Amino acid sequence: MARLGSQHLLALAALALFLVLPLLVADWVAGDFAIYFAYALFAVSLAFAWGHVGLLSLGHAVYFGIGAYAMSVVTLGMVPGLPHLQSTWVGFAAALLASGGAAWLLGWFFFANRGLKGAFFGIVTLALAFVFERLAINSSFLGGLNGLMSVPPINLGLNGGGLEIYDPIPLYYLMLGVLALVLAGMMAVTASRFGISLSALRENELRALTLGHDVRRLKMRAFALSGAIAGLAGALFVTQFGFASPSLIGFSLSADVLIWVALGGRHALIAAALGAIAVRFLESRLSSALGASWPMAVGLFFILSVIFFPNGLFGELIVRLDRWRR
Amino acid sequence: MERLAIALLDSSNAMLVLMLVSLGLAIVFGLMNVINMAHGEFLMLGAYALLSLTGWGLPFWLAFALAPVIVAGIGLIAEELVIRRTYARLLDTILATWGLSLVLRQGLVLTYGPGSFAVPVPDAGTITLAGSPYPVYRLIVMAISLVTIAATFFVFFRTRFGLAARAVIANRDMASCLGIDTRRLDRITFAFGTGLAGLAGAAMAPLISIDPGAGVGWLVPAFLSILIGGLGSLSGPLAGGAAVGAVDSLTSAVASPVFAQLVVLIAAILVIRVFPNGLVSRRRREA
Repeated sequence: MARLGSQHLLALAALALFLVLPLLVADWVAGDFAIYFAYALFAVSLAFAWGHVGLLSLGHAVYFGIGAYAMSVVTLGMVPGLPHLQSTWVGFAAALLASGGAAWLLGWFFFANRGLKGAFFGIVTLALAFVFERLAINSSFLGGLNGLMSVPPINLGLNGGGLEIYDPIPLYYLMLGVLALVLAGMMAVTASRFGISLSALRENELRALTLGHDVRRLKMRAFALSGAIAGLAGALFVTQFGFASPSLIGFSLSADVLIWVALGGRHALIAAALGAIAVRFLESRLSSALGASWPMAVGLFFILSVIFFPNGLFGELIVRLDRWRR
Repeated sequence: MERLAIALLDSSNAMLVLMLVSLGLAIVFGLMNVINMAHGEFLMLGAYALLSLTGWGLPFWLAFALAPVIVAGIGLIAEELVIRRTYARLLDTILATWGLSLVLRQGLVLTYGPGSFAVPVPDAGTITLAGSPYPVYRLIVMAISLVTIAATFFVFFRTRFGLAARAVIANRDMASCLGIDTRRLDRITFAFGTGLAGLAGAAMAPLISIDPGAGVGWLVPAFLSILIGGLGSLSGPLAGGAAVGAVDSLTSAVASPVFAQLVVLIAAILVIRVFPNGLVSRRRREA
């Protein structure tokens, strides 16, 4: 019988915990967690690109923001020429296509020739986040600095008008379901032939190339997949938050997601997801008490974790668990 | 005609300061293999140091001389506490310095508040150039940048320290075997690189609005300069800084700053796609 990996055990334990959590806490807390699950999905997309493929994207909020804006534009009925289109489903499709397509197109530039590697890839993606934020601020179509307000919640009707998912508990389970499904799907992807090729090129790109892998195509596909998931996370986020602003696309959210993934653990997708949830939860509990010292504490903690726990906290847990079960 | 002259002067100003910032970044990267994501925050530290020192009643030029020294001191401490612990892991240095930038930025917020400050431009008068008045202070900033760049070249190509530093850049292990104290060199280099950033920050302080988040606005163009110019030489980042600074400032003079940022980024991505090793080091490789 095949033994379950430690990361699968951790994922199952987390799933069990989150399934019963709404019974233990107040409804509004569950509603907060539904938003953390969207962030967790975002963290999964970055952990896939960074931890599994080795593409350190410092501007990953670009794809999250594109997804959020795409969803908002569709559900607010702002698509040029189609004023009656308000479907949440079309919104999801638009978010996935726009963010995945943007990541694919940018990958076409990034990975050309010998490709941007390591830090340089990071810097260019960071610069992109910077520029996209400015573009969003200066776009009157996207509402400028104010962003797009009163984005409707998820609507199950084909073109709006159906059942709205608005109450915290149904929303919580919907988000948990999406997160669990995508996470399971991505774990399957990392274990597939495609995923193994990706980790091969992460370890040694030249070797992967000489063994006959089309490294450039692999990286473009992986980056597009990561971008699409980030876009899905953005779309799910904005239906709950009700508000798409330039801060979703720019520098500071990119920095945040990097910290969640690094603190949680970039080598396992579940560790990154738990990192996002844990940091957001602690932030909601502690930021009012600590005030402006909170970002400082996160920064210091982040530096310490980079120096002493390069695997991240949950990643370290998985490593220890592996060692103990052997 | 007058507007053109002013635009060209402002553009030279932007180019020279960006060259200075890029040079500091490139020296740290070339010698220590550390990607310093906190470089922009060190620049802002220079501006804040100037703000505080002049606020305490020090004369402007004395404060101006002290600010880079203070920033270099902070850089030295950061190197000792954080940077040296991640030398062996190149990608982790990005994370460590990224965390450092968060801490520095938040430290500035806690000390000075999140709002923006302005330092009054020192009264150096104006000069009439091509028929229109131009502040002398901007000319002084250009002169300081030029002198500092020249001094950096002198240190690297005419002194014993520079020889050792270039040896470490060429081959770190070999240099260490030949008896060069790479550890000491690392410390000095990091302090020097952050000091250059502090100097640029102090010089620009009267010309910009000083707020804790402004560092990133310097980091990104500086990195693009290095990418465009190419690594492995001191002239690469200078060429890149000149190119980025010129494109950025001239485009924002003609169109808008946002458009300029977009143009710079697209141009940079295209250049990187065509010349993956940068403009300067490419020539050397073919030779």
